[in-house]
Amino acid sequence: MTRNVLCVDTAERVTDVVSTLEDDDQLAPISVTSVESAIETIVQEPIVCVVTAYDLSDGTGLDIIDALKSESPQTPSILFTDVSPGEIDTTGFDEVIVEYLNRDLPDADDRLGFVVNDVIEHSAQVGFLAPEDEDDRLETLAEYDVEELPVEESFDRLTDLIADHLDVAVSFIGLIEKDEENFLACTGADWDSLTREDTICTHSMLQEDVMVVEDIDADSRFSENQQLKNLGIVSYAGANMTAPNGQVIGQVCALDHEPREFSAHERDTLQQYAETAMEILELRQAVDSGGEVAQ
Amino acid sequence: MSLSDAGGFTVDLLPDEHVESGTSILLAGDDTEALKRVFASLVAAKESEYSVVLATNSGGRAVRRILDDVRAGAGQDAAILTCEGPARGDDVTVIDDLSDLTTLGMEFSNLVSQVNQTNDRFRSGIFLCSTLIDEVEDTRSVYRFLNTTFLTDLRRNEGLGVCAVDTSASLETDIDSMLTGLETSMTARIDVESDGDKIELTLTGFGPTEETVTARL
Repeated sequence: MTRNVLCVDTAERVTDVVSTLEDDDQLAPISVTSVESAIETIVQEPIVCVVTAYDLSDGTGLDIIDALKSESPQTPSILFTDVSPGEIDTTGFDEVIVEYLNRDLPDADDRLGFVVNDVIEHSAQVGFLAPEDEDDRLETLAEYDVEELPVEESFDRLTDLIADHLDVAVSFIGLIEKDEENFLACTGADWDSLTREDTICTHSMLQEDVMVVEDIDADSRFSENQQLKNLGIVSYAGANMTAPNGQVIGQVCALDHEPREFSAHERDTLQQYAETAMEILELRQAVDSGGEVAQ
Repeated sequence: MSLSDAGGFTVDLLPDEHVESGTSILLAGDDTEALKRVFASLVAAKESEYSVVLATNSGGRAVRRILDDVRAGAGQDAAILTCEGPARGDDVTVIDDLSDLTTLGMEFSNLVSQVNQTNDRFRSGIFLCSTLIDEVEDTRSVYRFLNTTFLTDLRRNEGLGVCAVDTSASLETDIDSMLTGLETSMTARIDVESDGDKIELTLTGFGPTEETVTARL
């Protein structure tokens, strides 16, 4: 599958960038020469990486990267420029993280294609921590053909039970994909998916035990997360759905719109619900494939 | 064949003394001075290596001094990025504002790229990542910074990286939970506990089992 790479530079220089990337059969460079046209293209085209110069006729490369982070926060970007970092004005762009590739380096052109493929393949600029064996985890997740498995009714009943049992406003079962969390069942809200870096689950899945956040405003990891606030999430408890090979593929969660504690008993209960959800998924998968259920 | 020929790095503190290239280490402890000494012993360049250090709480001269304490001359074999001036020499880059992660990330990447033009092997370090987390508004930006620069540089090059967290820092979060998250995305973890000159290191991820060693630094 070809990868659409947006190349932004002045009219005099953009051809060089495009011809460098055209040598790679996997890459399909799209050239534009202004901030305005770059932002339009980001909105309209399935771009998987942006390579931009710093100085442009109607702004800078940071304007484009800032817009990219708003539109598609997990799409990587590379500032390919001969302007040194010390000369780049970052006023207003304090937390717009970008890969900097110095165009003055002797091997800059050779490196560009490699760097573009590398940042795409490794989701190298995401705003969350992924486990070191993330590729193995995603392979495990891919083994479950969730779209085809009849788990919806069972999971709906389970989230109803969790919300009732733990007396929370929202309960859900979510699978954590490469870039987003997909909700298979949700009681108390109507959510389909969330960008992974906006979720608490992407933190919770890294913990061995049930993770509890009693008040997101009191936790610096989440207090600036506007998406959580928009959804009314104030308190959180999440338990791992762990596949038989030990990989965590999803979360079973209880949320509330107010700060609250979760007792040791409640955490244990949530963990048991998570294990039940995993067993349902396993059983359905086994029945569907006519195979045996892992113990 | 020497250890460096085998493509790894020598770390005197560890029982095995050998660490694979590309290894990232989370270094955690609540005694900042002990943490600094262990950090220096991990990051100080040996022969045919170079160090790239992001120092959040020290100037270039202080960083050179602690590296020289580990190995005479290691301080000169280091490119240092700091927000505490003045810039002394070509290899000290001073930025104005630690919370400007955009500049910090670009400068750090640029330093690693420059070092890789002349040295195949480098040791990189952040002292202290907890200060970065404290400085920025949104912790996700620090994770993005670690992914974009620190971990990416290690994946692409012959490098050893150390990310230090002072667990006594007031970060308004569940520090154990945050450390578990950081640990999961790195290769190994060293927890530092000090008692006078004696420093106890708990090592995780360097072998099949957790191990505790005592060091005098």
